[in-house]
Amino acid sequence: MASSSPWKRLTGLGASATPSVLAVGASLLICFLAIALTKNDFTVAVEAYAKMFWGGIGDWPGWAEGAPFTALSRPWGEAATKGGILLLTGLSVSVAFAVGLFNIGAQGQMLVGALSAAVVGAAFQLPALLHLPLCLLAAGVAGGLYAWLPAYLKLGRGVHEVISTIMLNWVAVSLVENWLVVGPLRAEAEGSHSRSGTEEILATAQLPRLLGEASRLHLGLVIALLAALGVWLWLTRTRFGFETRAVGLGPEAARASGIPVQRRTYQAMVLAGSLAGLAGALLVLGTEYKFPATLGAPYGFDGIAISLIGLNHPLGVTLSALLFGVLRAGGTHMQLLGVHKSFPELIQGLALLFIAGRVAWEAYRVRRRKITPLPPPGEAASDAPAVGV
Amino acid sequence: MALERASLELGEGELVAVVGENGAGKTSLMNVLYGLYQPDQGEIRIGGERVRLKSPKEALARGIGMVHQHFMLVPNLTVAENVVLGHEPRRFGLLDFQRACAQVEETCRRFGFRLDPRALVQDLSVGSQQKVEIVKALHRGARILILDEPTAVLTPQESDELFGVARELARAGHTVVFISHKLREVLSVAERIIVMRRGRTVAEVKAAGTSPEQLAELMVGGKLPEAIAAREPVSPQAPAVLELREVSAGGAHGKNALSGVSLTVRQGEIVGIAGVDGNGQSELAEVLTGLRAASGGQLFLEGQPLIGTPGDRRGRGLTHIPEDRLRRAIISPMTVEENMALGRQHAAPFAHGPWIDQEGRRERTARLLKDYDVRPQDPLARMGGLSGGNQQKVVVARELDPAPKVIVVVQPTRGLDIGAVAQVHRRLIAERARGAAVLLISLDLDEVLALADRVYVLFGGRIAGELVRAQFDERRIGRMMLGAPEAPPEIAAHG
Repeated sequence: MASSSPWKRLTGLGASATPSVLAVGASLLICFLAIALTKNDFTVAVEAYAKMFWGGIGDWPGWAEGAPFTALSRPWGEAATKGGILLLTGLSVSVAFAVGLFNIGAQGQMLVGALSAAVVGAAFQLPALLHLPLCLLAAGVAGGLYAWLPAYLKLGRGVHEVISTIMLNWVAVSLVENWLVVGPLRAEAEGSHSRSGTEEILATAQLPRLLGEASRLHLGLVIALLAALGVWLWLTRTRFGFETRAVGLGPEAARASGIPVQRRTYQAMVLAGSLAGLAGALLVLGTEYKFPATLGAPYGFDGIAISLIGLNHPLGVTLSALLFGVLRAGGTHMQLLGVHKSFPELIQGLALLFIAGRVAWEAYRVRRRKITPLPPPGEAASDAPAVGV
Repeated sequence: MALERASLELGEGELVAVVGENGAGKTSLMNVLYGLYQPDQGEIRIGGERVRLKSPKEALARGIGMVHQHFMLVPNLTVAENVVLGHEPRRFGLLDFQRACAQVEETCRRFGFRLDPRALVQDLSVGSQQKVEIVKALHRGARILILDEPTAVLTPQESDELFGVARELARAGHTVVFISHKLREVLSVAERIIVMRRGRTVAEVKAAGTSPEQLAELMVGGKLPEAIAAREPVSPQAPAVLELREVSAGGAHGKNALSGVSLTVRQGEIVGIAGVDGNGQSELAEVLTGLRAASGGQLFLEGQPLIGTPGDRRGRGLTHIPEDRLRRAIISPMTVEENMALGRQHAAPFAHGPWIDQEGRRERTARLLKDYDVRPQDPLARMGGLSGGNQQKVVVARELDPAPKVIVVVQPTRGLDIGAVAQVHRRLIAERARGAAVLLISLDLDEVLALADRVYVLFGGRIAGELVRAQFDERRIGRMMLGAPEAPPEIAAHG
C-alpha cells in the first residue's frame, strides 16, 4: 500500500502541482526578459520585479529600516482586496468544473451580485450585524440565480453552457451597466452635482477594515478564505461533494449508480454563481462602496485562469489567487519605472497558456503511446493465477 | 513495456494462431507488424529482407493487412465505398462508384465472398461487416492477414463460416494470423499456435495433439483455476424474484428495441440471455436498471412494480454490472475506494450522515480488494491505472457486496483473462447459491451455457426461445440467435 503513506501523498501532491509552479515560474521569467529587453536595461527589470513583489507582500526592507507599519499593511490591503475577489471567482469556475461544466459566466454572475449588494447596501437601514450579511446573501442569491439559468438551458434544453454563459455575460453587462446603473438605479444628483454609479452604500453594509483605515485589508479576504474552506470540505468530505465530482468525472457511471445527476448539476452551478456573486459583493462592499459606472477589472474572466492554474482544487485556487493578488497589487508600483501595470495580468495569461499547452501536449502523447504497460515485476513472480494487464 | 523480445515466424499459406491472456501482448505484437507501433529493439524481415514499417500504409504496401476487433468501417457508406476508401477510382476528381463496385465485385469473386457492393454497411450483420473488413484488406493486396479476436462478436455459425474463409485463403497461399483467447476454436482452425505471456512469446505448439487444457496452462503459466463445480438444479418452488410482462422499449431510429419481452428469474437461479449483439440486450439491461424507460409492459421485483430511478431500484436490492465498464461502471480518474463507494455513497459504511466515512470506506475497500484479489491492493490507487480485469473485479466486488436480491450482469468477463473470468464465474455461482436472482446477459454463448440454469434467446428485441439447462444445444441456440424460424420449443419441466 505504498501510495497510502503520508509521504507518498505529499510527493504526489507536489508532483501534481509541479506543472502549475513551472508555468508560473516560466511566465515570470519571460516577462522579466521582456522588460529587460524592451527597456534595454537589465537593472530596470530587476527593480520593476522588486517593486512588484514588495508592493504586494509589503515593503519589508523599508520596514526593517524604520518605515511605519503601513509600509506593510497598505500593500497587504491591496493584495488581499484583489486576491479575495480572484479567489471567489476562481472558486466559482472550479466548482462548476467539479460537476463538469465550464463556467465562463462568472463575470456576469459577479455583475448581478455586485449590483444586488449595492442596492441592498444602500436601500435598508439596519444594524451592521444584519445589514452586511443581508448584502452578502443578496449578492450570493443573485449570482446563484443568474447561474441557474445556464444550468437549466443545459439540462432542460441541451444548450452548451459555454455558449449560454458567454451570452449571459453580455446580457448582464447590458442590463446592469448599460441600463440599471445609468438609468433607474443611478444615484440622484446632489444639487447641480451629478454622480455616476448607484447610491453609496451605508456604513453598516461596508466590510470592516481589519488593520485600520490606512490599509484596505477588510473582512472580504476572510470571507473568501472561508468560502474556499467550505468548498474544500464540501467537495472532499461530504457525500454530496463526492456525488458532484462523480457527475463531473463520469456522468454515465454516476447515473448508473443512482446519483441524481441533474440535481447535483443544478446545485453546483448555483453554488458557482453564488461565489461569483460574492466576489461582486466584495468589490462593492469592500472597496467601491457603490456600483461604479463601470466595474472595471474583469475579475470574472480572471477566475478561469486562477482556477486552471490552481488545478481546479480549492487549495490550489487559493494559492494561485493569493499569488496573483500579490502580483497585481505590486504591479501598480511598476508604473513608476514606466512598466505598464497590466504586466501581472500578462504573467497570469502566459501561465494559463502554458497550462493549456501542457494539456494539449499530454493529449498528443496519449494518442502516440497506446501500448499498455506490463504489470510491475513483483506480480510476475507470484504464482497465483495471472491477473490481467 | 508491452513486448519483450517477442519472436514470430510466418510461412506462406499458413494458418497461425497467436494466443495469450488479455494484456499478454498479442495485439501489441500485431500492431508492431502492422506498423502502428515502432519496436524499441528487434527487427522485422519480410522474405528475408529487413524492413521498417512506420505506418499501416507501409505495412499494407508490404502486403500486411489487419482486421481489428472493432471494425474500422464507415456505417453509412456502401460496401464498395468502404473497401476502396483511401485509393478510390476517380472520375473527374470524384469517386467513380460504378468502377468501385466492379472492382470490389471482382475481388469478392476471386476470393469467394458473397457481398453486395451496393449495400450500406450499417444494414449488414456483424458477420458480413467482418467480411467487408477482410475484403478491404485483400483488395489492397494483403498477403498476410491478421485477424484480431475475429470471433468475439460472431455466432457459432458465423464463426464456422469465417474459419472456412480462413482455410480457403490459406490454401490460396495467403498467410492468416488469428489472435484469440478462445482455445477450442484456435485448436480447430490453426495449424500452429504461438503462446504469448507477459509480452514474450513463450511457446509454440502444433494444434494436432494439443489439448485445450495444455494450451491454457501454457497461457497462464501454471495450473488452471478450478472449473465450475456441479450444482443442484433450481427448485421449481423457488419464488420468482424478477418478472417482466410484455415489456417494450424504444431504441435508436424510432424502432422498438424490445417488443413484448416476458421473462422471470427465480430465487437462486441464473437466467442467461443469449443473442447476437444488437438484438435488444443493452436495452433490456437499461430498462431493468432504470436507465431507460419502458414504453410498455410491467416489471416486478418480488411482486411489487419495479419503477423509479436507478437509485430507487438499487435501494430495493437490484444491482448492476454494466456492459460498458469504462463509461457506466467506473470513474477512471477517481480512486479505487471512491469507485467502491459508487452506488452506496450515501449509506454505511461509506457515509455517516452527510459526511463521507473515510475510515469505513477504507476498511471495506481494503477487505474487498483482498477478498477479490485485486492488484494492486491499494484503496488509493487511481481506478484508471488498474488493468481491465482488476477494474472488473472492483466492479463485481462492489455490486455483489450488498448481497443484492437481483443482479443484472452484462458481459461480465469481456476482455478478462482466464484467472479473472474464473473468479467472476465462481462469484456468480456463489450468488446463486446464496439465493440471488441473476440475469446474465452475454454475447459469449459459452459463458451463458456454462453458467445459466435457463436461457432465453433474444432476436430482434423479442424472446425467440427459452431452454432449460437440460436442453442446452449450441447449434439450436445458434439458429434461434439468427432468427431462424423454429417450432416453439417444448419446455420440459424445469430442472
